Amino acid sequence: MVAMTYARRHGLSPLGVGIGLRRSFYEELPRTHRTLDWVEIIPENFLSLGGRSQRALDACAERWPVLPHGVGLDIGGPDALDEDYVTGLAALVKRVDAPFFSDHLCYSRLGGVYLHDLLPLPFTEAVVEHVVPRVREVVARVGRPFLLENPSYYANMPGGTLSEADFLRNVVEEADCGLLLDVNNVYVNARNHGYDARAFVDALPLERVVQIHLAGHTTYPDVIIDTHGDRVCDDVWSLYRYVLARTGPVSTLIEWDQDIPSMEAVLDEADLARAALREGAGR
Amino acid sequence: MKPSLKHFFDSMGSYLARPGDESLQRLYSAHPEWRAPSTRVSIYGDFVRGHIRTAVEKLFPLLRGAVGAETWNALVEDYTLTRPARHHEVNRVGEGFPAFIADAVSSRGLPPYAPALARFEWSDFAVFASQAAAPEPVERLTPNPTLVVLEQPFRICAWVRARGQGVTREPEAGDELALLWRHPELLVTYYQEATPPALLVLKMAVEGLSAPEVAAATGMPEADILDAVARLSRDGLVLAPPA
Ligand SMILES: [Fe+2]
Repeated sequence: MVAMTYARRHGLSPLGVGIGLRRSFYEELPRTHRTLDWVEIIPENFLSLGGRSQRALDACAERWPVLPHGVGLDIGGPDALDEDYVTGLAALVKRVDAPFFSDHLCYSRLGGVYLHDLLPLPFTEAVVEHVVPRVREVVARVGRPFLLENPSYYANMPGGTLSEADFLRNVVEEADCGLLLDVNNVYVNARNHGYDARAFVDALPLERVVQIHLAGHTTYPDVIIDTHGDRVCDDVWSLYRYVLARTGPVSTLIEWDQDIPSMEAVLDEADLARAALREGAGR
Repeated sequence: MKPSLKHFFDSMGSYLARPGDESLQRLYSAHPEWRAPSTRVSIYGDFVRGHIRTAVEKLFPLLRGAVGAETWNALVEDYTLTRPARHHEVNRVGEGFPAFIADAVSSRGLPPYAPALARFEWSDFAVFASQAAAPEPVERLTPNPTLVVLEQPFRICAWVRARGQGVTREPEAGDELALLWRHPELLVTYYQEATPPALLVLKMAVEGLSAPEVAAATGMPEADILDAVARLSRDGLVLAPPA
């Protein structure tokens, strides 16, 4: 088992299993009697929106640790970091006293326009060189440990010279940040690009994994789309166990953002993840 | 940033600004060695366009219903080309939509009430998500800090209310002062036409007038004034100090 050096270095211990505070849960989640260990928020939904979102956030923050997981940091993009956004994010991280925060290794903004998507970067040294100082800037400004997530991608971007795993490794090692390992993304990418998911996991700097995402996806004839619109499939559960056997217990999130049947169903998935975490710890 | 990386972003930028067959071909010619299947690359063009559409459709459901599917599709397409997503919060793409609709009324033969309806729907959301927080508790009668007042040449409030009851004729022409605010406990948007009692109670809140003062100045029975204050405090248009 790999020592979780990044987490240890930053005094972070595994938090158990969380779910996302999505709009449809604003009234229900803070009142739930179900077991829940922590809550993830998309900071973009709380930085500039008042009213119900703030009330829900405050109520959740009273009960659970809250981890901000952004979609708009644009860590890989060509534009300068959005001052307003980073300032607001830093304030939000402090307000909920988050032990760490995260975003995706991607770009999401071009020419000052938000694309509201997580767009893949070419796997090149030039990108590594571009991203690393930006990560360091964000960490310096926010002042908490930061994780980058491996995004799903449907096409290799032009000019790539590194493998995906080396690309991820080079960024997180050179920037000295943590890795948010989205196990569903590994599965979806492996299927879409025809590689072996377990070999990919083995090639990652697992000692930097501080959080895991589990989610469902949607299978089309020629592509699998990372929709977060379904239950976690059996293959992803077994890949999750494969990862846990190598990392030890890791804070885990059930991501369910589309076609959510009910909050209870999401909490049921969280219970399954908690059982897998416990089972992993008992080995 | 290395020139090769800048070239990548520039080429993606022109594709994503106007996703389509032609721009996709241009993207590939910018990267002659690139072998990724175009059906996979175009997923991103569809996504990026789709996010704007989804947000605008969620924000303006009444306008969408009023103009019909074909006109609506053309409007959203053209609005997307104005690249309205300048803010990280996705709903903010709707902020410029009422002005876009106002400009499009005559050129596209939109119903004359379309701009007022678009402004009303945007205000409905803006009030719902307003960052103005109600002080708790207030020390004296206070206007709801989320209040938005719209002056419009159509009776939009009555029309929206009637739609809720299944009536679907068009909004009537006629000056309307619409009040929209977020209920301080329920945190949902309330709206109503500015009736004389609503304006009176707002005036009392803004100017710090008491019911006896207003009764003396207007000759209205004090009980009626107190009634209006109580009713509009319950609705949250004004915030009253604890009794
Ligand atoms: Fe994820």
